[in-house]
Amino acid sequence: MNLCSAIVHAKPEKAVLVSDRLKTFSGVEVHGGQKEGKLIVTIEGTEDDALADTLTKFNDVDGVISTVMIYHYCGEEAANEEVLQ
Amino acid sequence: MKLTRRDFVKSNAVAAAAAVAGVTLPGVKTATAADADGIRWDKIACRFCGTGCSVLVGVKDGQMVASQGDPDAPVNKGLNCIKGYFLPKIMYGKDRLTQPLLRKKDGKYAKEGKFEPVSWDEAFQVMADHWKKAINKSFEENAGKPVNEMTSRVGMFGSGQWTVWEGYAASKFMKAGLRSNNLDPNARHCMASAVGAFIRAFGIDEPMGCYDDLEHADAFVLWGANMAEMHPILWSRLTDTRLTKEGCEVHVLSTYEHRCFELADNGMVFTPQSDLAIANYIANYIIQNKAYNQSFIDKHVNFTKTPTDIGYGLRPEHPLEKAAKNAAKGKLSPITFEEYAESVAPYTLDKAHELSGVPKDQLERLAKVFADPNKKVVSYWTMGMNQHTRGVWINGLVYNIHLLMGKISEPGNGPFSLTGQPSACGTAREVGTFCHRLPADLVVAKPEHRAFSEKVWQLPEGTLNGKIGYHAVLMHRMLKDSKLNTFWVMCNNNMQAAANMNEESYPGWRNPDNFITVSDPYPTVSAQAADLILPTSMWAEKEGAYGNAERRTQFWRQQVKGPGESRSDLWQIMEFAKYFKMEEVWPGDLLDKAPQYKGKTLFEVLYENGQVNKFAAQEVKDSDGNVYENDEMALFGFYPQKGLFEEYRLFNSAPDIIKKGHEMAEYDVYHKARGLRWPVIDGKETLWRFREGYDPHVAAGEDVKFYGNPDGKANIITAPFEPAAESPDKEYDLWLCTGRVLEHWHSGSMTRRVPELYRAVPDAVVYMHANDAKKRRLRDGQMAKLQTRRGEVVARVETRGRNRVPEGLVFIPWFDAHRLVNKLTLDATDPLSKETDYKKCAVKIVKA
Repeated sequence: MNLCSAIVHAKPEKAVLVSDRLKTFSGVEVHGGQKEGKLIVTIEGTEDDALADTLTKFNDVDGVISTVMIYHYCGEEAANEEVLQ
Repeated sequence: MKLTRRDFVKSNAVAAAAAVAGVTLPGVKTATAADADGIRWDKIACRFCGTGCSVLVGVKDGQMVASQGDPDAPVNKGLNCIKGYFLPKIMYGKDRLTQPLLRKKDGKYAKEGKFEPVSWDEAFQVMADHWKKAINKSFEENAGKPVNEMTSRVGMFGSGQWTVWEGYAASKFMKAGLRSNNLDPNARHCMASAVGAFIRAFGIDEPMGCYDDLEHADAFVLWGANMAEMHPILWSRLTDTRLTKEGCEVHVLSTYEHRCFELADNGMVFTPQSDLAIANYIANYIIQNKAYNQSFIDKHVNFTKTPTDIGYGLRPEHPLEKAAKNAAKGKLSPITFEEYAESVAPYTLDKAHELSGVPKDQLERLAKVFADPNKKVVSYWTMGMNQHTRGVWINGLVYNIHLLMGKISEPGNGPFSLTGQPSACGTAREVGTFCHRLPADLVVAKPEHRAFSEKVWQLPEGTLNGKIGYHAVLMHRMLKDSKLNTFWVMCNNNMQAAANMNEESYPGWRNPDNFITVSDPYPTVSAQAADLILPTSMWAEKEGAYGNAERRTQFWRQQVKGPGESRSDLWQIMEFAKYFKMEEVWPGDLLDKAPQYKGKTLFEVLYENGQVNKFAAQEVKDSDGNVYENDEMALFGFYPQKGLFEEYRLFNSAPDIIKKGHEMAEYDVYHKARGLRWPVIDGKETLWRFREGYDPHVAAGEDVKFYGNPDGKANIITAPFEPAAESPDKEYDLWLCTGRVLEHWHSGSMTRRVPELYRAVPDAVVYMHANDAKKRRLRDGQMAKLQTRRGEVVARVETRGRNRVPEGLVFIPWFDAHRLVNKLTLDATDPLSKETDYKKCAVKIVKA
């Protein structure tokens, strides 16, 4: 599995609009932060997915000031295995 | 509650991001059980730019599988940029080098042979044979010469990506061992101008402020830095301040529009080279409006001027050098305040506008920010100002502005030179890897500095060479001219990086008189142009230390093992020293002064001297009890990183040191801290230097003291506008500017091996204005041929994209090994700093 989280910095007045645009990218979820202009985003894909392509495209979305990475996991284990019960 | 690995990893990822952003998300708990997955987490400094972010890396079954911005790191506060995110993958490119490769024909080394795998022993034997021949020739040439006239035919080209101890070990190997000052780092290409200007103005290298200024300033001025793409983490902190602090402004100066303009309140595109005029206009504005800080000037500043018409650092026979009245001269002479005011008086608003093309209201707005005593201003710059044939001048002109206003050395006020490499400061600049330097700001030209270094290194008097060696650009010229015959390139890709590849670099490397060694993890352009390739264990595959742009020294432990027979640069340098007997590297009369060294190897004299091998092999353990490997310790039988660092501290922290101000803490302290900014006195780091209350070297009542200079004052240095070495003309009618893109770092030898990054920006494109394209009947996406007087390159035209260039200028990034941009560039340098100007030459563009 291949998953990362990022903070997308947007001008607060444009944050909701930016958030809606980001959601249209494949594998992207926005978890909050619209009020602060700091969108909490996850991007998911399989081992070979080019998450960086998606992240790079964020910067071309109107109103985005910067995209920073926070967490990245790229292990080979199955994503649906139960790890906690 | 059942939780799959996906849910679990995702909730960790979201929680980490929310915590860093300071955003509260309902229902998200901080998961701690990443550990349940059997991952060992530890801190490490990022491998890439000079920001010096700390990253937490997760290792499972000997492989790095996860990374996270380090939430405890003061630099990046949990953030990480796209390059840092891919750090774990950089070590796992499919074409990692795993054994030494030597060019051979019929079983023997041959310059025109093909690469064949060899053992380390054979590699070092062949290499040492060539080095010994070159050293013998130097013996003959130096017979009877005083030490300050000694030359050398052996050379090494190091790196701002070396760990601190690798640079230190190399400096000692070349300067103390082989008595050669032909050691220069690739940092020559990126920050030599900043160094030159620091030394001239303040008598001591590196910025006085720190990243905390990002939260304290009221205004930010970018002078030739694309922070949004090159220093994204610092840009993110700056953005935060701009958006949350009332009245905060961002001014951006550049020769084309880039991503920083998105946030800029005052974005200015200026004609290349006219930054000199803009800076002088601001100084003039401050003086005309009597806005300067009189008491600061009276107490802390000297006014000086520098010789003008100094040439362009080209070969002496070049017409531009012959025409220069004061080629390479830089001795300062004192002037009065009135003379200084007179020197900048020609730089009126009209004149600055005329030279730069920047609208007058924008120039005036910029000048007013500096002149307002109530606005705290930080200036940032990187290559735009350093890679400049007047780089030392323009750095100095910006200091002039800050000094006139006293806006320096305090929270939120100061000039700050950003760096491009992770240890350009900590290694290249601080441990003496420049051809004129010794550790801790000492220089080879001063007999008392050499004497002190000889004492620390236990060398007989007169060992160290007092003649400045070949700098980076000169090295390639001397290789071509057969005056430098062995060359070891480590931890950089200089065949791709150096300017004027066709006329200087390539002919120099392939010259049959020379033997070229390249140490690298990957088969780079440089490796392929070498005679011997040595496989390198990189970054997390060794214990390391980097020093970032804000003077912060950071350590890490070895996380994983290098592949195959690869070995770290540190091991390579130290092991190679075993192949020399002292009789083979020092002449008899010198050895007679130290008879105890007779019959010994260079390794024994340099690294088994009781200092470097002082610390026995030990277990490396973190506070959680995890145990880490240290391959060099295992191979040498002592703790070389610690021994080298502690010996280095004899240069910067012992009671008898010559230049105070670089003090560092003991080795073990850094393994526990998230880095410390020097000077570190009594375990306490220094955030703002030269200011009472912040810097322990400034006594109570002294207020401000620029103690790098004997009189405690800083130099304002006046310098005029002078044109670039090559400007567009009728035939070559466009400016060519080269640079970087976010996703790739420098020559791309690491980032281009990460599939995701490669897909994001696969090929270098040439950014040009739609009108310029149209005039040449080119459309977006078409292939174009870029031609200069030196070579040509084909690239796809981009007229939209994220870099928007003005008419008359094109921009091309240089990471792409298939489009070697340095076939185009001119090897004009700043005559003072010897740093190449990669930003300005003339190009013609036609349909491919």
